Amino acid sequence: MARKRERSDIILDMLNAIQHNGGMIKPTRLMYKANLSHQQMKLYLEELMQKRLVYKVREDNHEYIIITDLGCKFAEKLRQMKEFEKTFGL
Amino acid sequence: MFRLVYSPTWFYGKDLLIDVVSVVVLLLIAFTSVKYYKLNKRNKNYLYLAIAFTLMAASFLFKILTNFSIYYIVLETKTFGFITLVYKSVRYSNLPLIIGFLMYRVTMLLGLLLLYKMYVKPENTSFAILAYLILVSSYFSRHAYYMFHLTALIFLCIITFHYWKNYKRLRKPSNKWLAYSFALITLSQVFFVFVRINELFYVTAELVQLTGYAGLLITLIKVLKKGKNGEKARKK
Repeated sequence: MARKRERSDIILDMLNAIQHNGGMIKPTRLMYKANLSHQQMKLYLEELMQKRLVYKVREDNHEYIIITDLGCKFAEKLRQMKEFEKTFGL
Repeated sequence: MFRLVYSPTWFYGKDLLIDVVSVVVLLLIAFTSVKYYKLNKRNKNYLYLAIAFTLMAASFLFKILTNFSIYYIVLETKTFGFITLVYKSVRYSNLPLIIGFLMYRVTMLLGLLLLYKMYVKPENTSFAILAYLILVSSYFSRHAYYMFHLTALIFLCIITFHYWKNYKRLRKPSNKWLAYSFALITLSQVFFVFVRINELFYVTAELVQLTGYAGLLITLIKVLKKGKNGEKARKK
């Protein structure tokens, strides 16, 4: 049985989804890519914005979420952490 | 007679250098684990891994300090009437050396025990009881040297088997490197058991141990590189 996603897994999935999309993404697409409910995404997004890992912009009547440099660095750190976790079986 | 050192004279110092390398590698992994524990405090295994590797590093530090005091033989000059004698003497009494070796054995086994408990999760076995048994057998046994290396060998076999199973499940190169590195560290314990037969076993054990810890360092570098390049690789 697949294990339940941890908080850090969800945050990494969100940051990865934005990076995959060229650094910016629409909220609905992020919700689908990170496999989140609307409520979950709202909560996590607020936290990510508070920590300045992402920010929102409005372009041509569409809302986009953009990853910051800090967000990219944090995603890299999380990926290293996950790799370490898998290797040492933590 | 009570024997503390099994290294051939020509290998003095070189073995200490190998142990210094082992300490550096163990501390690097412990430091990395603490760094990730700060990111994800819910997963206590990061903390346990850091403690286990720090204990093993501390163990090597005790071994280095104790062996260094034995190898540090100084020339002393004494005058008896009209004759001046220059002779070699060991500055320390046996007690600090015995304590040093005891600490080396106890901290190493506690570190391995913690790793074992982390991965095997045996039910109904208290960590405190096992730790107490390690302490007692390391101090009171007449064959403390063999007890130590055999116990370390058993723990290492189980831990290596766990890492090998993990590799079989995930099929990742870093898991393979980790399993092979621990297999080499396990093998070094086999050679340590036979040092009384021939001093060359000690040299072989130290060299195998060095290869094992070099492998662990490569594993850590691979893990950090993979994490760094993960996104780039997926984008390609």
